[in-house]
Amino acid sequence: MSIFEYNGSAIVAMVGKNCFAIASDRRLGVNLQTVATDFQRIFKIHDKLFVGLSGLGSDAQTLYQRLVFRHKLYQLREERDMKPETFASLVSAILYEKRFGPYFCQPVIAGLGNDDKPFICTMDFIGAKELAKDFVVAGSASESLYGACEALFKPDMEPDELSEVVSQALLASVDRDCLSGWGGHIYIVTPDEVREKILKGRMD
Amino acid sequence: MTKQQARFEPYDFNGGTCVAIAGADYCVVAADTRMSTGYNILTRDYSKIYKLADKCMMASSGFQADVRALQKVLGAKHLIYQHQHNKQMSCPAMARLLSNTLYYKRFFPYYTFNVLAGFDEEGKGCVYTYDAVGSYEKVGYSAQGSGAKLIMPVLDNQLKSPSPLLLPAQDAVTPLSESEAIDVVKDVFASATERDIYTGDKLEIVILNVDGIRREYAELRKD
Repeated sequence: MSIFEYNGSAIVAMVGKNCFAIASDRRLGVNLQTVATDFQRIFKIHDKLFVGLSGLGSDAQTLYQRLVFRHKLYQLREERDMKPETFASLVSAILYEKRFGPYFCQPVIAGLGNDDKPFICTMDFIGAKELAKDFVVAGSASESLYGACEALFKPDMEPDELSEVVSQALLASVDRDCLSGWGGHIYIVTPDEVREKILKGRMD
Repeated sequence: MTKQQARFEPYDFNGGTCVAIAGADYCVVAADTRMSTGYNILTRDYSKIYKLADKCMMASSGFQADVRALQKVLGAKHLIYQHQHNKQMSCPAMARLLSNTLYYKRFFPYYTFNVLAGFDEEGKGCVYTYDAVGSYEKVGYSAQGSGAKLIMPVLDNQLKSPSPLLLPAQDAVTPLSESEAIDVVKDVFASATERDIYTGDKLEIVILNVDGIRREYAELRKD
């Protein structure tokens, strides 16, 4: 059994018209036993930048602490927020630092860059970046998510439609994965607001 | 260093994806026509759908040599059945026969993943889905093979029929019309082909309804 599937997770980020959505499930388990049903895997770095950390829960939290720390140092030095592209490179570098004793996390990064262009990206657990134009997925439900997103995605969606599509894709996918589920957590980020929603889902 | 020797490997995996959907008065069975081994494509035009009886089709992915052997065994058993009973086997009977045939080889299994589709005694569409050793279930729709994990959540979401995940089990024929069901099948295969290297080339769709059996083909990505 893979260490990446020890706790179970499902994360998806999708691009819309001048906006993006990032969503995750809420389950934390130990193999097949559910331990918590309100677990957070998506973290806010600043108003227009979010990171989702799939994989091992403890490494996700440790990694998040390091990322916040590095982002705060950046803010103090530069007196501005990090661009998503820069942040992705930072995450990649931090992961590769631990090339031979890695964090067992697959991150998903989503943000609004200059002139509010949406940016999404994922990488493997040692920092190999993959930039995508449409959507990225991660976690133990990633295969289901690929299928669902590939079928439901269309380009240039408005925030409301994007929210619906991502929610449907997430809930459909986690119902076919034993290790993720128990509802979802979704952020829809537009240039002037962040909408946060808690989704109810099957409790098995 | 211990001595190494060449060993006989009885199994291969040829990939492929099968989907079946049951409606009130029709059935749709679909499979891609790619046959692969490892990173190689053996052929782009290989049918995975087999007619077992007048109102009963089987789609199989996995190891195609085992699939052919299984089809031959079922064909032979059905021929004997026809001689003894002077009629075609019903789909539920064929479903149990397939299960028993698979379980008969429990300790040297047919490496095949099957879906069976046809009509039940009442003339309603029915789908049976299997594992490699004969465990089976009657469902309203199913996907098997290399792209099943990508397709199944989409079917759950789009077919609007009670999901097989719901308990207690419900009669789960889709309320969709025949042409809508065919469109869904084309869409899910197009999606699976984007991400699954073992699915692609061409889609073979077999439609069973009151008029009989009809075949359709649709193109899929060839990379």
